[in-house]
Parts: sequence; C-alpha cells; structure tokens
Amino acid sequence: MKDRISQLMDGELDDRAAADAIQALSTESRAGDGEARDTWRMYHLISDAMRDTPLLSAGFAARVAEKLAAEPTVLSPSRLKPQPRTWFAIPAAAAAGLAGVALVGWLAFAPQQPGGPAPAPVAQAPQIPSPASSRTNPPIVPLPSSTPDYLLAHQGFSPRVSLQGMAPYARTVSDQVNEGRK
Amino acid sequence: MLQRIFPVVILVFWGAAQAQSPEALDWLRRIHEATQKLSYTGTFVYQQGGRTETSRITRFVDAGGDIEKLEVLNGAPREIVRTRDTVRCYLPDSRVVKVDRRSAERGFPGLLPERVNALGRHYDITMGESRRIAGFDCTAVVLKAKDNLRYGYRLYADKASGMLLRAVTFDDAGEVEQFMFTQLSLGKVTRDMVKPRHTTSKWRVEDAAAAPATLPGWGLNAELPGFRKVVELKRRMDSRPVGQVVYSDGLAAVSVFIEPLEGRSASRTGLASMGAIHIYTREVANHMVTVVGEAPALSVQRIADAVEYRRPQQ
Repeated sequence: MKDRISQLMDGELDDRAAADAIQALSTESRAGDGEARDTWRMYHLISDAMRDTPLLSAGFAARVAEKLAAEPTVLSPSRLKPQPRTWFAIPAAAAAGLAGVALVGWLAFAPQQPGGPAPAPVAQAPQIPSPASSRTNPPIVPLPSSTPDYLLAHQGFSPRVSLQGMAPYARTVSDQVNEGRK
Repeated sequence: MLQRIFPVVILVFWGAAQAQSPEALDWLRRIHEATQKLSYTGTFVYQQGGRTETSRITRFVDAGGDIEKLEVLNGAPREIVRTRDTVRCYLPDSRVVKVDRRSAERGFPGLLPERVNALGRHYDITMGESRRIAGFDCTAVVLKAKDNLRYGYRLYADKASGMLLRAVTFDDAGEVEQFMFTQLSLGKVTRDMVKPRHTTSKWRVEDAAAAPATLPGWGLNAELPGFRKVVELKRRMDSRPVGQVVYSDGLAAVSVFIEPLEGRSASRTGLASMGAIHIYTREVANHMVTVVGEAPALSVQRIADAVEYRRPQQ
C-alpha cells in the first residue's frame, strides 16, 4: 500500500489505479484502521518539509473537517459585491487608454515608404531566431545508457562526498539513471 | 515608506559585510569532521525535478576504518558499499557487481579542513536560518556562488553533533535538487548492518581497474575559471578502456571521460541532465568525450567545448 500511496502522490498511477487507491484509502480509514491515511499524511509532511512549506498546527485537518461539517448548507447564491477600485487602478486604466490613443496615432501618421506604397503583406512567416551559438542552446538528449558507470566513477572524486558521506551516490543507483539499461 | 525600506537596507549591507563569516567556515569544518567520525543509520530522500527516491545510509566506524552502505528502499534493492579500499555497487536486476578500487582516490585531497578557506574565492559563505529537521535542531551554512559557473548550497547540520541532515543545491532560479534525512539515529551501528544483503557468488564482477595515468595529447584549450585539474586516470567500463580527467573548484567537480570510438558511432551530441548533474557528449578526434559534472549546464558545456586532442610531440 505504501508504494501505491507514493505512486499516487507522484502522479504515476493511471486514472483507474488512482481511483482504486483513493477508494482503498477512504475505506481503510472508515474501518478505523488509519495506517494508510497516516502514511499519506507522513509523505505529505516530508514533501512539505522539503519544499519549505510552513507547517500547519497539529490537528489542523481534523479541525477544518469539523468546521466544514458544522457549516450550514447555503442554497441561494449570494450576490457578488462590486470590487472596490484601488487607487492605482484609475491611473492605470487612464494610462492604458492613452497608450491606445498613442498607438492609433502612431499607426495613422507613420511615414509612408519612399517610392510609393508597398503592398502590405497579408501574412508573414514567423521569424525563427537562429541560435547565437550552440552554447546558449544545446540539443537536449536523454541520459546516456552508461550514466550509472559515469556517476560511479565520478562521485568518488567529488569533494562533496567529504561533507556528505555517501548521499550523492544515491544518484548512481537511482531508478532514473538505471532505467536506460533495463 | 522609509521606515519600511530602512531595515531591508541594513540587512542587505549586513549581508554583504558577512560575505565570509568565520562562524560559517567553522561549521563547514565541523560538518567535515562529523562525516569522518560518526557512526549512524538513517533514511533519506533524494529529490530532483518531480522525483523523490528513498534510501537508507548506514555508516560504521571502528579502529579498522569505516564502512558505509547505501541501499535503495523502493523497487530493485540496489546497494553500494564503500570501504577504505573499494566501492562495490550491487545491481540485483542484472546480477552484476561493479567494483571500483579507491587507489586512485588516495592521492586525491577531497575537501580538507584547511582548504575550506580557499572556497571563499568562489562562494560567499554565511550562516543561514536555523531549522528543525528529522527531530534535530539544525544550523544552516549557505554557500552562494559568486558567478553562474557553479551552484549554491544550503547545508543544514545538527547543532550538537555537526552531522549533515539536509543539503539543498540552488541557483538563481531556485532549488535544483536536495538530499534530506527524514529519520536518523547516531551511534548504535554494528558491523552486520553494513554487510551487503546480496550473495553474489553467481553474479558477474566488473572491475573498473582504475589507476592513475596520463592521457597524452588530451587537454583543455580554455580553462573554466576556478576549476583545476585534480586527477587523471584510466579505467574500464563495460570492458572498454576509458580515460578520466577530473576538474574541481574545491567543492563542485566535473569529470571528462574519453573513450575511443573504434568504428562505433558516438552517442548523440548534446546535453542531458538529472537534478544538479549535467552530462554533455560530443565527438573529438574519433573519440567520444562525455563530460559529467554537478555544475550548471553552462560549465559542463564550456569544459566539453574546450576538450581537444593535440598529437604529442615525439
């Protein structure tokens, strides 16, 4: 189940498998066995920690669920209040208007080409900018099949290993670089 | 308005004045020392792009030296065991053990505590925000690159032991990859815990037979600022001979691999990447040159573009 929860979070399950996993999650917690849901929560906690998301207080989800349950169901939609205009909106609108006028004026008074009016092109092929140098725009290729070997050979010489021990070797045995050789 | 800007201005100036904080340099030395001395076991995640991989790292230290083991926890149980002399990589899916002897590394300085000061030439090293990670109160050391040829790092270490719990690699656009322990226990490690789990009597053994060597004629026609050649060696990969030259700025490293094409066609020229690792392949003088580095694409590509072969003078 843990594997499937992890796959579900990573978006690796197809629709059907995802629906099954969600079904299993809710059935299991309804039956009073919260292990799957705890795993789900823990995985999210880990991913939040990694993304530096500020943590919510303990029991936040439970309290929100409680409040939601206590909320009366409102059947008539309330009228949308007009948004108050902020002070900068008016000058911005005015500026946009002025810019419009300026653009029209510029188009109207643009000098004609000397030697008679040239027929205006109806459509123009988009200009494809040529890359200034290959350095700015290298072709992107998949990881070479020998990537695990290169990484194994390289890692021992990375000064980072002396600060981090073996952690950088995780790349060498990661699924992504080993997929190429299966 | 001024009242709001003023503290920010002060902070900016204070930050500039703190470009090389002695406290942060001390912390780097403490992290280094902890990495060499501590026994520990813990679960950690490696995250890059949208992917997360979970592994366990166990380190056992006694008078006879140290043994470290990294095992992948999801999917195929791939393992790497590193002793003083060898690195063995166990690949159960293909029943292969890759063996790399560490004799070539012996003359290799790594990041020695006395070299920490030299890092200040390419990185601004300051203290960051404290944070609690996997139950440990951690202090942060931030290494910000002074140019776009290297990445920056945020290192979080346990205040009590100096153990590194989280390492984030970043560039101007944000986070590139990270390693983080989600659970860790210090001490309480036995030798059994670092033994390989696989019995490999019927597995194929691939020995890289790496040894220091010179690669006559090969070199760079332009240096990358801050990166110096640290080692040059020959090894075998899938039984083909490969030359390797490593360049480093003291923290980041880039390897240049050179293999004769011998009639085979080279892999496609271009750039591949995974997290902070970039790999650039191109053909030079009927050889395939593959540059692998934990450095921005720009650096890896500049080194790759500079690789040249000049027929050695007789």
